[in-house]
Amino acid sequence: MSIFTSPTAEDVNGSILKIQSGHNVLVRQPNGDVRSIKIDRDSTVVVGRLGSFHANELIGHPYGFSYEMVNKQLKVLPVRTLEEVEDTDATNELINDGEFVQPLTLEEIQTLKQSGVHASEIIKKQIEQHANYSLKTEYSKDKYKKRKEAKYSKSFTTIEPTIYNVCNYWFNKDQNRIRDIRPDTLSQILTMANIQPGGRYLAVDDASGLVVAAILERLGGSGMLLTICDTDSPPAYPVVANMNFSPDMVQSVLISLNWANSEQEYVSVHAPVEVPADEIRSDRQKTRLRKRKAAYDLLENTREELFGGEFEALVLASQYEPSGIIDRLVPYLAGSASIVAHSPHSQPLVDLQNKLRNTPGFLGPSLTEGWLRQYQVLPGRTHPTMNTSGSGGYILHAIKVSAVAPNAGRF
Amino acid sequence: MWSKARDIAAGDTVILWLTRDALQPLIIEPGKEFNSKFGSYRHSDLVGIPFGSKVGSRTGKGFIHVLRPTPELWTMALPHRTQILYLADIAFITSHLNIKGGSHVVEAGTGSGSFSHSVMRSIGSSGHLWSYEFHETRANKARQEFLRHGLSDRVTLSHRNVCKDGFTVIDAADALFLDLPAPWDAIEHAKKALRKDRIARICCFSPCMEQVLRTVSALNDAGFTDITMYETLLRPYDVQQTPALPTIADLSHKLKQSELRREEKRLKQIASGHRGGSEDENNGKKFPGVSAPGPGYESSSSLSFGEKRKREGAEGENEEMLTGEPTGGKRAKTEEEVVVVEDTQSSTPEDVPMNDTPLLLKVERSFGEEKSEMPSLVQPMKINLSKVMPEVRGHTSYLTFACLLPPLPTEVTNESSEKAQ
Repeated sequence: MSIFTSPTAEDVNGSILKIQSGHNVLVRQPNGDVRSIKIDRDSTVVVGRLGSFHANELIGHPYGFSYEMVNKQLKVLPVRTLEEVEDTDATNELINDGEFVQPLTLEEIQTLKQSGVHASEIIKKQIEQHANYSLKTEYSKDKYKKRKEAKYSKSFTTIEPTIYNVCNYWFNKDQNRIRDIRPDTLSQILTMANIQPGGRYLAVDDASGLVVAAILERLGGSGMLLTICDTDSPPAYPVVANMNFSPDMVQSVLISLNWANSEQEYVSVHAPVEVPADEIRSDRQKTRLRKRKAAYDLLENTREELFGGEFEALVLASQYEPSGIIDRLVPYLAGSASIVAHSPHSQPLVDLQNKLRNTPGFLGPSLTEGWLRQYQVLPGRTHPTMNTSGSGGYILHAIKVSAVAPNAGRF
Repeated sequence: MWSKARDIAAGDTVILWLTRDALQPLIIEPGKEFNSKFGSYRHSDLVGIPFGSKVGSRTGKGFIHVLRPTPELWTMALPHRTQILYLADIAFITSHLNIKGGSHVVEAGTGSGSFSHSVMRSIGSSGHLWSYEFHETRANKARQEFLRHGLSDRVTLSHRNVCKDGFTVIDAADALFLDLPAPWDAIEHAKKALRKDRIARICCFSPCMEQVLRTVSALNDAGFTDITMYETLLRPYDVQQTPALPTIADLSHKLKQSELRREEKRLKQIASGHRGGSEDENNGKKFPGVSAPGPGYESSSSLSFGEKRKREGAEGENEEMLTGEPTGGKRAKTEEEVVVVEDTQSSTPEDVPMNDTPLLLKVERSFGEEKSEMPSLVQPMKINLSKVMPEVRGHTSYLTFACLLPPLPTEVTNESSEKAQ
């Protein structure tokens, strides 16, 4: 038992506080890349080419620590704060490109690495041998050391699976699969849709379940999320797996229909056949019939939930033509509900905005695009990062209103 | 937090949407009346109708929409509080600080309560917000507002200067938000208020870079890690429906026609100058070298009539100018270009369906066999165009984030390495 599984920590929602067996854990490597690793009790975990360790060592730890892998064991690294860099008179006046400055050969470094010498030793050696190191400015020296560290260090940092971090991970990994939804855009979607614990929401998520994961996280296990999907089996929302939700965060909240059985006229061909009791021949047949009935009932209940309407928001992050989705699902929204549609492209939403503007029942359609700029904050070296993401896509927001006044003609 | 019922009831807070830029909060008190330039409405007439209804004025002129409040609408509805500008910040901070259902949040100061409302929406009834405001009047106003909005159970509001006196909670907050002029003075206090058994997060909201630098330094000294800084904005787009963009093929054709017309005119003038007689005789006979009028010439000139009719006055003026300056061919061309461009710009989306369709059809007919070379004709008549609004907010504040990690698990490493050996 580690010190982290103290009784109090367990009592207060222990499941999300610590790394547990079965979790998908995001880890940041020294070069900044983030990868997802599965932590299963009694297994060996491989972190890319950096090394491996025994999973049990990580179980019970809070998220956020940095570790170094030494002989397949984890060593917790002390928390690093920003270091003030002393300003000196050094300049690059006497440093020229292409000069031979590093007598240490690649093979020699390789040998050093294989001999199990610590990363800091290799870097120290490189610095000692570097012909022009002393000429560098302190800033440049700092940068040099960091670059080398990223190369040789066998360390990683665990990242808490918050929706922000998970979105960031997917955005950097494969932004197409989450339809370019950047963390800032995702946060705007949630805000514009007015998502709150206990609410009832409709969503169409063709963004690998990113929007579903975000809504589920905010609902915290209370409320309802009905998603409409394009598959005949329950939708796979791979992003949800990164959140390590406890089952009650999902099961009691998330239900799904597909586009066919979300049609009001749809009649299921799987309707259970009423077999008279004396005709049931085996227990197996009985089970089969019961299962079929259960599946049918679930579907019918979900359909009734949709047709009952009064949903508080509709969130779209879909590859399909948005206007048709709006026509289909808006009737199930409550008055004053938010309609939020995201697209990586402006054109579909531009057309939708123009349509909604000229259709009664939609109030104040607006089209926006998020803009995000990250800064490097190092003492004496604060500036916007040189490379950044171009766009997190576009969001259309409108409010559903009833087109005809209920008291029309009263006066 | 506000009514979740389908229909409006007496005592509910509603948001009246008069126009996109004119929103107003209203507490429904039967017996009262709401009067504005958008009409006259009895509160009692709003009771029992669904939220989101469009309601016509008693006078018959004007209408309003009666909406269910959201933190965003509430912020927009308050005077001198512009919402769209800060939605991006509030949303981003909420997400970065991992504020969600059940979160415990600390904020200072309360200010106008814009962030407070948004946070209370996101944390739900199982979460809690501790809000601190050092300005007494503002604190009392916010307290009343929270009470009226049914939020008293999820917020604890204190009139307190946190920079001097610290926070009232210890090891409690998952997330802490500082919107203070000198956040660095509150960092040590903030550290006490944040919980220590898991990652806790802080955000400092400062408009100036100098504040950011001092804050970063204070956060660093206090042992916060993962210090990052962002700026975020919303870029609003303006969408317009316009006729399909005019093509250079159209333009080129018009220019050619006008050139022919000018040449025709010039020849006529020269002819009339020489002879002073009938034009029909002169045309083409005396000046064969200038232009050989063939069948193509004939059909083109018939087209130029149609064009003249379409362009009406503008073209007429141009003709006059040409007559006045027969030698200024090049200059006249430029003039005409300007006229064409102005024509396109002045046509508003509203007058498009009536005027534009016959025009394009006429062009189509008169071009005859050239039709296949005119891609503009197969394009849709109307297109939707978008561009960023001309004036947008360029900066709100810098958002400085940092994490506070639990104490280092030194014992654990010893333990686990012993176990492994």
